[in-house]
Amino acid sequence: MDSESFPTSLIKWSSDEPCIMGIDEAGRGPVLGPMVYGCMYCPLSYKNTVASLEFADSKTLKEEKREELFENLKLDSCIGWEVDVIDPRELSAKMLKKTKINLNEISHNSAMGLIRRVLDLGVILTEVYLDTVGDADKYRIKISERFPGIKIVVSKKADSIYPIVSGASIVAKVTRDRAVRNWVLSETAENIDGEFGSGYPADPVTKAWLKRNKHFVFGFPSLVRFSWGTCSSYLKDGVEVAWEADEEDADSSSKNTGKRKIKLTNIGISGGHKKGNEAVQSSGKGRCMFLQTRKLELIKQFK
Amino acid sequence: MNPGVSPALAGVTGSVDLHSTDSAVDLTDKVHLLPCIVRYNGPCPVSDYFKTNITGVEGDGLKVQEAYFRGRRIQGTAVPLPNGYHGYVLGKKDGVKGKELKGSDEESNDWSSYAEFQNITYWNHDDMPSNDDPIMRCFHWFTIADALHKPVTEEDLSTVSNVKHQS
Repeated sequence: MDSESFPTSLIKWSSDEPCIMGIDEAGRGPVLGPMVYGCMYCPLSYKNTVASLEFADSKTLKEEKREELFENLKLDSCIGWEVDVIDPRELSAKMLKKTKINLNEISHNSAMGLIRRVLDLGVILTEVYLDTVGDADKYRIKISERFPGIKIVVSKKADSIYPIVSGASIVAKVTRDRAVRNWVLSETAENIDGEFGSGYPADPVTKAWLKRNKHFVFGFPSLVRFSWGTCSSYLKDGVEVAWEADEEDADSSSKNTGKRKIKLTNIGISGGHKKGNEAVQSSGKGRCMFLQTRKLELIKQFK
Repeated sequence: MNPGVSPALAGVTGSVDLHSTDSAVDLTDKVHLLPCIVRYNGPCPVSDYFKTNITGVEGDGLKVQEAYFRGRRIQGTAVPLPNGYHGYVLGKKDGVKGKELKGSDEESNDWSSYAEFQNITYWNHDDMPSNDDPIMRCFHWFTIADALHKPVTEEDLSTVSNVKHQS
């Protein structure tokens, strides 16, 4: 998890002054790139000035305007900011864990992580504003329980209602756009290109990129969020990969107990040679416990 | 082998030639055992896509590596093969070097080594590698195999006969 932040040395206000903070996210929907949570905070007394800074919901602004506003707010010694950049690999991995962590949970944790981080800087937060993720009331209670004493306001469209959240949305959006623009692929295959468009699953440029850069075994470069439903449609004609975690899912929904799971307990040792007969566990009848527990099997014939 | 031999009998005789290649490819650090079934057998640009990182974390005395495959985070460790053991990648032997025997491979049961390795990196989905993992426990077999099959030395025999005499 990367983070970038406002250098606290710039803080011009006295440390006991109560502050408000807005939190917003960018890149929740796209099928590729990081999801970025950003926050912006300032002394309560500066609230009205922030409202005059022309921050608006970042989505309604042109990219150049967002960049300009971000650069300006970075120079403003009465405004602090932080970002949490969640790598697409981390998003995929968490959402595809054996015990899955959904995107809402990841979002909640990121937002609360930012509150924690700002508090740890010694900033006295009295009010925090943010857009809802999931049920607004439950979300507010969840954050309030974690941070008693701070007034938490969770609201739909918070980024267009509260200027401090609009500011946070600019911090998040600009950071996300820059991260995607400057993305360095970890894959070294030569034919992977960087024309991935906005990253939204409906964007024709993104669609074309996914189609062009999929790999029959590896799927996609790790910039892509494999946990997005849209990925599976692209990988239909690729090589099938079976994971134990998926089989547990299938088991609990179809009551196909045991049988499918055994398939995978095989793979380490006897892998592959049992094609068509995979449901047979590797430990045969009458073999001693030592061999059974280690799934060791006598192979009489190579294939 | 006779072309007339039925495939069912093909397993009865055969050979494994572990020294047939002039320069055996060394696949040490490149043999991975993934915690999933990949329904594909064949060449694939592994090193371009499968990037492993050494985490610096050590658990159970094992150096933990980290990688991603198909969006899953996997954690693994490189296990050296014990002294005296070698890993081999075997392929069906063919008269013409480098040419794979296709279609008629049921009839041949002669194998030769194409590559060797001295360790296996095995991977778990989510879980840290540990000495309780099945692959680690498989290595216990080597100790037993030694006890069962190692040639008996004169020294061993004399110990046994001493014990007999005493009783």
